[in-house]
Amino acid sequence: MAESEEPQGESTSGSRLPPTQSSVPNAPSVSSLSTEDKHYSDLEGWLSKLSVGTPLAESEVKLLCEKAREVLMNESNVQPVAAPVTVCGDIHGQWHDLMELYRIGGSAPDTNYLFMGDYVDRGYYSVETVTMLVCFKVRYPERVHILRGNHESRQITQVYGFYDECVRKYGSANVWKLFTDLFDYFPLTALVENHVFCLHGGLSPSIDTLDHVRQLDRVQEVPHEGPMCDLLWSDPDDRNGWGISPRGAGFTFGQDISEQFNHTNGLNLVSRAHQLVMDGYNWSHEMNVVTIFSAPNYCYRCGNQAAIMEVDETLNKTFLQFDPAPRRGEPHVSRRTPEYFL
Amino acid sequence: MVVDSSSRMEIDQETQPNSSDKNTMLHNTDGDTEMNISDEEQARQAIENLKGEDLSEKIAATNKLDYVAKVLGPERTREELLPFLMDGVDDEDEVLSVIATSLGKLVPYVGGNTHVHALLVPLEILLSVEETTVRENAQASAQTIAKALPKDQFHSLFIEMISRLATKEWFTARISACVLIANSFEMMERSEQDDFAQQYAKLCRDDVPMVRRSASQYLGTVILKIVDAMGAQAVGTGGVLSNEFVKLYEDLASNDQPDSVRLHTIENCIAFGQSMTNLQKKGMDALTKEEVNLLLKKIVPLVAGTIEDRSWRVRWTAGSKFANVVHAFKDLEGNYAIDTLVPAYERLLQDPEAEVKTAATLNLAEVAKCKCKVPCPPASSRAAEKEDPSSRPRISVARRLVRKVKDLTEDDSENVRAALAMVATDLAPLLGKEATIADLVPHVLLLLRDTTSEVRLNVISSLGSLNEVIGVGLLSQSLLPAILDLANDSKWRIRLAIMQHVPLLAKQLGVEFFDEQMIKLCVGWLGDSISTIRTSAAENLKELTNIFGAEWAIENLIPALGDIKRHKSYLRRLTAVNTFTSMSTVMESDLVITEILPLLLMMATDPVANVRFNVAKGLATLAPKCGKNVTDTQIRPMLTVLVEDPDRDVRYFASKTVKAIDETK
Repeated sequence: MAESEEPQGESTSGSRLPPTQSSVPNAPSVSSLSTEDKHYSDLEGWLSKLSVGTPLAESEVKLLCEKAREVLMNESNVQPVAAPVTVCGDIHGQWHDLMELYRIGGSAPDTNYLFMGDYVDRGYYSVETVTMLVCFKVRYPERVHILRGNHESRQITQVYGFYDECVRKYGSANVWKLFTDLFDYFPLTALVENHVFCLHGGLSPSIDTLDHVRQLDRVQEVPHEGPMCDLLWSDPDDRNGWGISPRGAGFTFGQDISEQFNHTNGLNLVSRAHQLVMDGYNWSHEMNVVTIFSAPNYCYRCGNQAAIMEVDETLNKTFLQFDPAPRRGEPHVSRRTPEYFL
Repeated sequence: MVVDSSSRMEIDQETQPNSSDKNTMLHNTDGDTEMNISDEEQARQAIENLKGEDLSEKIAATNKLDYVAKVLGPERTREELLPFLMDGVDDEDEVLSVIATSLGKLVPYVGGNTHVHALLVPLEILLSVEETTVRENAQASAQTIAKALPKDQFHSLFIEMISRLATKEWFTARISACVLIANSFEMMERSEQDDFAQQYAKLCRDDVPMVRRSASQYLGTVILKIVDAMGAQAVGTGGVLSNEFVKLYEDLASNDQPDSVRLHTIENCIAFGQSMTNLQKKGMDALTKEEVNLLLKKIVPLVAGTIEDRSWRVRWTAGSKFANVVHAFKDLEGNYAIDTLVPAYERLLQDPEAEVKTAATLNLAEVAKCKCKVPCPPASSRAAEKEDPSSRPRISVARRLVRKVKDLTEDDSENVRAALAMVATDLAPLLGKEATIADLVPHVLLLLRDTTSEVRLNVISSLGSLNEVIGVGLLSQSLLPAILDLANDSKWRIRLAIMQHVPLLAKQLGVEFFDEQMIKLCVGWLGDSISTIRTSAAENLKELTNIFGAEWAIENLIPALGDIKRHKSYLRRLTAVNTFTSMSTVMESDLVITEILPLLLMMATDPVANVRFNVAKGLATLAPKCGKNVTDTQIRPMLTVLVEDPDRDVRYFASKTVKAIDETK
């Protein structure tokens, strides 16, 4: 809890600059609110917009990203996180299912959350999803933690949907630019109570200790190779040792690697996302590694369940599985006849 | 679509100086300065964007055409704006569709009703375009314009336009003609109505199926209006209805038509029944019983025909609208219609398609609500062939249909059973107490034990009407196992739904029903693994406190909450905090002070910050209940500690509560 003073300082210094740019031409009456009150009321206004699925205006996204950068740039490559916390995997723009996730796990700030990356691409609501998560992060920096996934990158998002969605929803690539610039500041990994190491992809042959991770310069586009790339791209494998990843980036690592890494760093678990698992979670490497995937019916067609992992005060782990949110407007007992019949 | 306004603001400022003259001009003519400036700005922007290339801006600008017209004034609207719009007919459909809507909105801005006809020129073009949504919007605008036109112009210009559309070569215009004739029929003069009835008949036999579909879709409207306008004369022998339209019905319902045309048969029959009923209510002048029967014998078999239709979609439509059919015909004299319709409905309940059965079943109680008597069903199918139905004793429709419930409870499709479970109990008030107990309750009990949880849930959700007739006490023995079973369902939405019915059941069954087992259940939901259930469970206990009183809650609920308040998971402890807070809102002040406040204050020192800040939030609800004294001596001291908490969120919510308490002073 030593850090609890810092974000307080950040939020005031962080919001000192942006509001002077934007709120001065507006109206002098706003200045009666203190900067801190304005900061909170902005964020809560945005969150209530986002909670009904309305995207923010471009100017609001700009302001949000400025605030978020202030918060995220002060976080560590191995961001310490306190238990209890609920750990989640890929979301991939499935905003309705993120809402279902909150219905299952509880809403922030009542429930503490750690998201392990891949908020954008594939699903149709990447904009709403990533904006909402960043908004929660800025509003409750100690209750919500967000890590970087391999899709939080300029290159990948141009291929898998986030770029196109931004252009479609905002008429330009400005919002895409704002978010992908912000992604560079997302922490790479998190450490829950010094025992559970959380990250998007997996381990790297160039990294033996957590201190190696701490030494990385993370503020950059995800590179094609090297330790930072591996953390976001690697997968566990049944074969021991390091293997070439079929993904073309990162490596596969065996149980011997996971055991060694956990032993060296005094960990009891590596928690990661990145791979579709049909039950939403999957233990591997004799419970040295767990995979969590939080996008139910991935890509609206895979038929998988999603899961989240509740880690309680004593580091006990409970998995909650869930299915896609029922689509609105569909009758309870009878399927509606498609319009094309008419 | 999110629009950033900053780029537009610049255009605005650039154009400002050029137009200052016009600005002042407008100020002189109209008084409301502020209003004019914003209208003017919007209009100028809109014109810019209309000429531009950007599609989304063009659409946005088209949406503001009424502003533009207002600013331009009537004359320039007629002479410049309307022709300008027509230059763009080759525009994108999206733009055309908005223009089509705007034409109706422009009615007030063309310079009075005598000039409204200026809108007919663009209207006629848009009524003929290929894109359906454009035509539909234009059809809606046509209605507005027709009403605004002076009478003589309606009878000349508008009527001529419909005639032209009805005979245009390209079929889309003829589709619009169907709609326009139907919509404006009652505004026409008698001779025009005669002509257009003939014209409509032609459209019903159009070569293009899409036109026939549209004609079929609006046939019911036309019928209703014809009967309304011409009365019994139209219906009687030699009238336009019996001469022309009955034949059209038969044609449009015939098997040679595509599905999409036959689909409207049922609705047309409803319209027919309604128009006959309307006539009968008015006194049926000059219409003999024989004439009515003759017509019915042509129309009602068409309904029966849709039930045997080869397309399940047509049968589905019949199933889902059958209550309307029955109600349209039930008040007509004679038994022929109802005696044919009820057996037809029974066939729908046995349709081979589950979807059709489901749609029909959902109508069960509505169909039964008609107060007619029908013959008893035949004892066997062989008996049915031999004897004359009219020789069998007559019973109410509800009594006859309740005999179908048994088969439906055994249906293979869970959707059918779920639909039945939703409506079956609504038969109770129609059957009366004795028949309900004898003929309905056994099946309801069966549904309560159904293998599918949705079915059981639907029964419990609809117990209200059964309760009114026989009292649910009779069911309580079967009810409790069903509730306990659903309470542990693996689908969390089922658990949620059954829980949300508990307060209602509490009202119906009374406090005796709430034995230890039920209380354990309700409190147990607070520990569910799904957050939404925990949150609703807290609300649920509040409702129960409200129904049974605070004393009951303190005696029965609070002790049971001990476990959850000390639960090892912070999320469960958090639920305890929220439960206490929400129960306090329906309790008397002194009880809140002695029973709830101490519990909440105890949890303010929880090791997990999330619990502490929920206590801080909850105290804001409790403080006004507790009064100033207790607030100052017990609540404030705790908040003083919490505003110094190491966690920033605890500090935030604590100071928010302090502020709220200060403000209520």
